[in-house]
Amino acid sequence: MLRLAAVLMILVGFADLARGGIVLAPVALVVGYLVLAPLSLLID
Amino acid sequence: MSTLLSETLRPSYRAAAVTAAAVLALYVATLAPTTAMWDASEYITAAYTLGIPHPPGNPLFVLLGRVASLLPFGNVAFRVNLLAAVCSALAAGIWFLVAERVLAQWIEVRWVRRVGAVLAAVLSATAFTVWNQSVVNEKVYTVSLAFFAVVSWLTVLWCDDPDGRRADRILLLIAYLIGLGYTNHPAGFLVGPAVATAVLVRRPRTLLRWRLILGAVVALGFGLTPFAFEPIRAAHHPALNEGDPTGCKDKIGFACTFSDTTVHRLMDNVNRVQYGKPNLSERQAPFSAQMGMWWLYFKWQWLRDPHGTPMSSAIQNVLALLFLSLGIAGGVVHYRRDRASFWFFGPLIATTTVALVYYMNFKYGASQAPELTGVAREVRDRDYFYLWSYSAWSVWAALGLVALWRFLAERAGPAPRWSTTAPVLMLGALPLVGNFRAASRAGEWATREWARDVLNSVEPYGILITGGDNDTFPLWYAQEVEGVRPDVTVAVTSLLNTDWYMRGLLRRPAVRYDEAAGPAVYRGKSWPVPTKPIISLTPEQLGQVPEYLDVREPLRFDQGDIHAVIDPRRLEVGVPLRSDLLVLQMLKDNLGQRPFYISRSTAGYAQALGLDAYALTQGLVTKIAPTPLTASADTVAVAGLGHVDVGRGLALWKSYGFPAALMRRGDWVDRPSASIPALYTVTAFALGQALEDQGRAGEAQSFRQQGLDVAESARITEWFVGAAPPSPAPAAGSDAPRGTPVPARP
Repeated sequence: MLRLAAVLMILVGFADLARGGIVLAPVALVVGYLVLAPLSLLID
Repeated sequence: MSTLLSETLRPSYRAAAVTAAAVLALYVATLAPTTAMWDASEYITAAYTLGIPHPPGNPLFVLLGRVASLLPFGNVAFRVNLLAAVCSALAAGIWFLVAERVLAQWIEVRWVRRVGAVLAAVLSATAFTVWNQSVVNEKVYTVSLAFFAVVSWLTVLWCDDPDGRRADRILLLIAYLIGLGYTNHPAGFLVGPAVATAVLVRRPRTLLRWRLILGAVVALGFGLTPFAFEPIRAAHHPALNEGDPTGCKDKIGFACTFSDTTVHRLMDNVNRVQYGKPNLSERQAPFSAQMGMWWLYFKWQWLRDPHGTPMSSAIQNVLALLFLSLGIAGGVVHYRRDRASFWFFGPLIATTTVALVYYMNFKYGASQAPELTGVAREVRDRDYFYLWSYSAWSVWAALGLVALWRFLAERAGPAPRWSTTAPVLMLGALPLVGNFRAASRAGEWATREWARDVLNSVEPYGILITGGDNDTFPLWYAQEVEGVRPDVTVAVTSLLNTDWYMRGLLRRPAVRYDEAAGPAVYRGKSWPVPTKPIISLTPEQLGQVPEYLDVREPLRFDQGDIHAVIDPRRLEVGVPLRSDLLVLQMLKDNLGQRPFYISRSTAGYAQALGLDAYALTQGLVTKIAPTPLTASADTVAVAGLGHVDVGRGLALWKSYGFPAALMRRGDWVDRPSASIPALYTVTAFALGQALEDQGRAGEAQSFRQQGLDVAESARITEWFVGAAPPSPAPAAGSDAPRGTPVPARP
């Protein structure tokens, strides 16, 4: 579940980045890469 | 050990968090309130604009920095500086855990272990370079330090129980974090050899578990995916877009993003191709001298006195030997008492000292062996490249100090008398006391004022040629983050040598001059809005400009009433570079239509281009006049500077904020950039000389005194007192010749 959430969060981040977003994109990518992905590797 | 950690080894997470919070409080108390010299402005600007800083582009840092810049308090620079502080404080908290874990093998008393762990955290946090880099976001290294510490802790946990249920997960997480750390900075891989050694020694059979190894490779690869940020963001052409790693010209698209051009430019960025460092077999200085550089900066860690008196140097040497000895003792104790984690930490120390020194292959340090003349030197001190080394060494030094404490405690009575002998731990507080003044950046506003002063020296819509980091990055910060004088076009020669920089300048949107926000001297006048781009060349023509002209004979430059003779020997590398050709083309295209300036921080670049007769000093910049200058009531020839616009200079000086900011701070710690305050002193002296020539002796004396006050505050008075009138000081400080092909000087 966490792994899926991490991947989705990162995809949302890159999608917003491609759209030109500079607020949601960095927040989503930071949460995806630095919170959800490590947690998913450790406990999912 | 069958369980992950026994009761004795249970980490004191709460105590570690409290220690990290205390370190953070120290950092916040000494935090820079705004930007600083060197790369600080570049990284803050990149974070704020979600841009791309110099290669490799540091995508993870930019994302983190952007999130930090969104915090709802302080100014943008303060928020990004805070990110550096938080990362280092996190690292200090983790060193607490690592040290406590090692101490658990040989210290039975829990509070003693905790005190030892606090020592490790405090020593590593107050080592000069760690502290100094943690209170302003000058580089991305504090984020790397946090990764370095987290991976270290995870590896220690893995070493405790390599067969446990969570061991494989920890190993996958380590691999992922190493990859992710690389997207912040290549230093992310520094822990790799130590992790590999730990695995080989602790549980070599792990390497035969191909599924686990494959999983680790996939995790590492996934950790590298933030690099995708670069081409996607570059396609939107942010204000800071170094390397321009996209094949998209106007807007983002599938085909141009997944094109060969994008891949080629991205890989050039990631691999830092534009720096062109020599092969490792070509040593830029003897290896012994490179180790000497590491030792010089090692000495700084425990007592940093940038103005070095004989007494402070002697104390510094004693402290360096003390902490070297403590570190060695700590390493020995570590080896004897906790072999499992030693086989990670020992190789980690080796990697960040000897191996890193060999890999970095630096020239002589800027402050190293000043008695040596004629040797190639780094443009600035590179102590920050050894931040991880000094941080990790501090952990061993703390272990050594605890060993000393134990030695004394056991000899003080039949049972160890820890409290009685605890005063010996005061040694661990020496860096906190000794480095406070030099490491603190509190109250440092001078760089921000420097940027404003330079931009405001340029008339509306002017083009300003700069030379390197310190006369360019702060200007980017002022324009993009604080909105100061965005009408000025800043073009830095070091980047004009690359193939991408001019493309970005051509894309830069024209911004109207805001008269109300500009200096009073430009008010009430008409400033025509430029209608043409800053250069007449098309992108295709730009691509055809050669990297350099292999000519050694004087060249002529004729445009309107300008007839200049360029002697290649006066140019930086003895031949005209692409940057010189582009500067001359811009001058040609804009003469008489748009004010054209060269920053005085370029150390006489106008003169090197043969433009002496047309160079008019206006404050901190030199305006290129369309006709030869002649002396008049307000245009006075000053020895060493050429023609000085006295009226403009006096008006601008009144608006300058740097002198007051510097005097409030009362010091300029970074000696390699001290030519910035020197530029103000030279300017004040020149105005004083011009006023003297006009018979205004009283005002002349006042300006000379102001110049001396600046020099005194920066502690560079000796540069001026008793000397001949100084020539313009080189202040640009280019950190690296970005993309500059350097032909051999004839």
